[in-house]
Amino acid sequence: MSTESRDLARVAEVLVEAGEALALGRDPFEEPIGEDPLAQRLDALERLDRRFRAAPRRPEPLRPVASAESGSSLRRAPARRQRTQVPALAEIELPKPSGLLDHLLPDESRRVLMALSHMVEGEGPYDRFGFSPDVTKAAFPFFQALYRAWFRVKSHGHANIPGSGPAVLVSNHAGLLPFDAAMSIVDIALHTDPPRLARAVVDRWAGTLPWVNVFYARVGQVIGTRENFADLLDEGQIVLVYPEGIEGVRKTIAQRYRLQHFRVGFVEHALRAGSPIVPMAVLGSDDQMPVLYDVKPLARQLGLPVAPITPTFPWLGPLGLLPYPVSYRIVYGEPLRFHERFGPEGADDARLVRYLANQVRRAVQLLIDRNR
Amino acid sequence: MMRVLVTHADEPIGRRALKTLYHDERVSAILALGHGPPPRAFDKFVAGADARVQYARVDLAKHRPVSDFFHSSRFRAAEIDTVVHIPRHGATAAESDPPIVAGLPERTAETRLLMQHCLEAESVRNLVALGSAFVYKLPPGNVNRLDEDSELDLDPDVPGDVRSWIDCDMILHGEVHNDRLRVVLLRVPTVVASGGYLYFHPTLSGPGGGHVRSMGFDPICALVSDKDVARAIQSAIFSRGPGIYNIAGRESVPLSVLARWVGRRTFAVPGPLLSIAATGTRLLGREASTALRGRHLRYGFTLDTRRAERDLDFRPSDHIGLARAGDGALRLETISTA
Repeated sequence: MSTESRDLARVAEVLVEAGEALALGRDPFEEPIGEDPLAQRLDALERLDRRFRAAPRRPEPLRPVASAESGSSLRRAPARRQRTQVPALAEIELPKPSGLLDHLLPDESRRVLMALSHMVEGEGPYDRFGFSPDVTKAAFPFFQALYRAWFRVKSHGHANIPGSGPAVLVSNHAGLLPFDAAMSIVDIALHTDPPRLARAVVDRWAGTLPWVNVFYARVGQVIGTRENFADLLDEGQIVLVYPEGIEGVRKTIAQRYRLQHFRVGFVEHALRAGSPIVPMAVLGSDDQMPVLYDVKPLARQLGLPVAPITPTFPWLGPLGLLPYPVSYRIVYGEPLRFHERFGPEGADDARLVRYLANQVRRAVQLLIDRNR
Repeated sequence: MMRVLVTHADEPIGRRALKTLYHDERVSAILALGHGPPPRAFDKFVAGADARVQYARVDLAKHRPVSDFFHSSRFRAAEIDTVVHIPRHGATAAESDPPIVAGLPERTAETRLLMQHCLEAESVRNLVALGSAFVYKLPPGNVNRLDEDSELDLDPDVPGDVRSWIDCDMILHGEVHNDRLRVVLLRVPTVVASGGYLYFHPTLSGPGGGHVRSMGFDPICALVSDKDVARAIQSAIFSRGPGIYNIAGRESVPLSVLARWVGRRTFAVPGPLLSIAATGTRLLGREASTALRGRHLRYGFTLDTRRAERDLDFRPSDHIGLARAGDGALRLETISTA
């Protein structure tokens, strides 16, 4: 066993003795993944470092200048995009309120929305993902009312959200309708300066829904495709992901606050883009619409991801889908900077990516367990 | 110095490309091919005995005329080293069944014959072809970012017009790594021109009048101006490597807005009724069923153009928006910011 692994094992023993690890109960993330790839990597890096220090320095060999003939242009990495600059709140000069929307919103929110409108390049009313500042402004009073009055959101750990540059926010997901995403986006926008619009990655199924697909795009949400994800990170934006996917939405009351299986694509993209991963926990969403039973055969017949039975649905019809006025708590954890250790080439190692995804899952679960 | 052949030079984008190349001092001679008589705009280009531009009428979809042309003394004397192929968009690009030539849609037949003769002609070293970005498979969503490595739509149920673009794309793609012929394929989205003209859009291009769109969907359409397309062709001619490139402008707007900008009326129809609408349209004598079936009615895209920026040094220089035309009406205009 390497020094690093022994240290890790020792830390685990100390935690068990201190009773901290018991807070988790049975560790739900135990997976037969063989030898720890993280420890292997650390060992390899350590060995490389020792060898490098021991060896005398040699001048770097000259590399041939890449030319158009030297290889296929398809293999070269694309150039970095110039990032859009959102001004700080102090730089925003608010015009006098005009119209109902301006009167509905406090100055602080108007300032945030004005700053976010700078995300649209040029003179067009939409950005390349269909985000429209006008539609967002129209929708903001409703979501801010939900944020303040209905869900009474409290949040902490905002210092962990990077003030600039790309970042992947990873959160738990629950509650049938994605109010957890909406509240997270409002919270991030209101607690960052310059304000940042978190671009939540939504399931492809949402893109097939009439009107919903248009609304999502206009308020800045994107469909979870490889190109969309990579492009957002390349532009230095915050991407909010729910790696549980639809499994998180359909989990029943017995599984509340227990994370489901994590998908791994977000780790790959974070490594490639060199962006930190910020774990976050949304507490309250699991209680807003507890699913008693998911009628999967019916869902399959109707082409829906979930056919839930809740205490109020389907008994009260569509009204039964209204979320209960539970109180939300959003907690942002310490950023995980895997990219600094493993670099973009780490994204090609499937076992490492899976391992890191499990580490993120563990971090989110810890946040949930400690703040419940 | 380049000696360039431009196909479909009598059509709007071909005319624009020819004009741009004519004013480029690095192009010593241009051979323009077209279906019809030379446009009046070419009068000043083709005038005089030592004119840099020559025009010829060739039906590019038929084997014999194309073969005759490529083996003619005129072509040999011109010593063409670069072919710019602008596939036909025509006035009825939205028609469901493109004209069939020898079992192939006209656009596919043209591209295949041209590729074959470019490979055979000794003097030709470069082929720059225009393709459509509607060849990509559109995932669900109002807007999706697509790069050159995105999946093509190989669904057998894809509308005929889009299918012919895909066939052309694959013919060209197959020769991208050819050692003798440098092939550059430029995939362009909806092309617009000052005055509210619009090309290459499967739904809105073609004859005017009403167009249907799917209710509850308003896909984002990536736009590029015809002048930027011509500049991209120019950049591709003088670039060094082969490759496939997305070309797009800065602006992208929803389908409903684009329709308003170009003066087309659209009707939102519930999805299940679209097939009924297609039948109805056909009964009214309009071949619009292609436009009623495609995924582009519901899902939109924008293009990642970083590869073109890096390799071709292409950056769009036109802004696209509404402006008041000479007659006082608001129309789509492209304004150069270069």
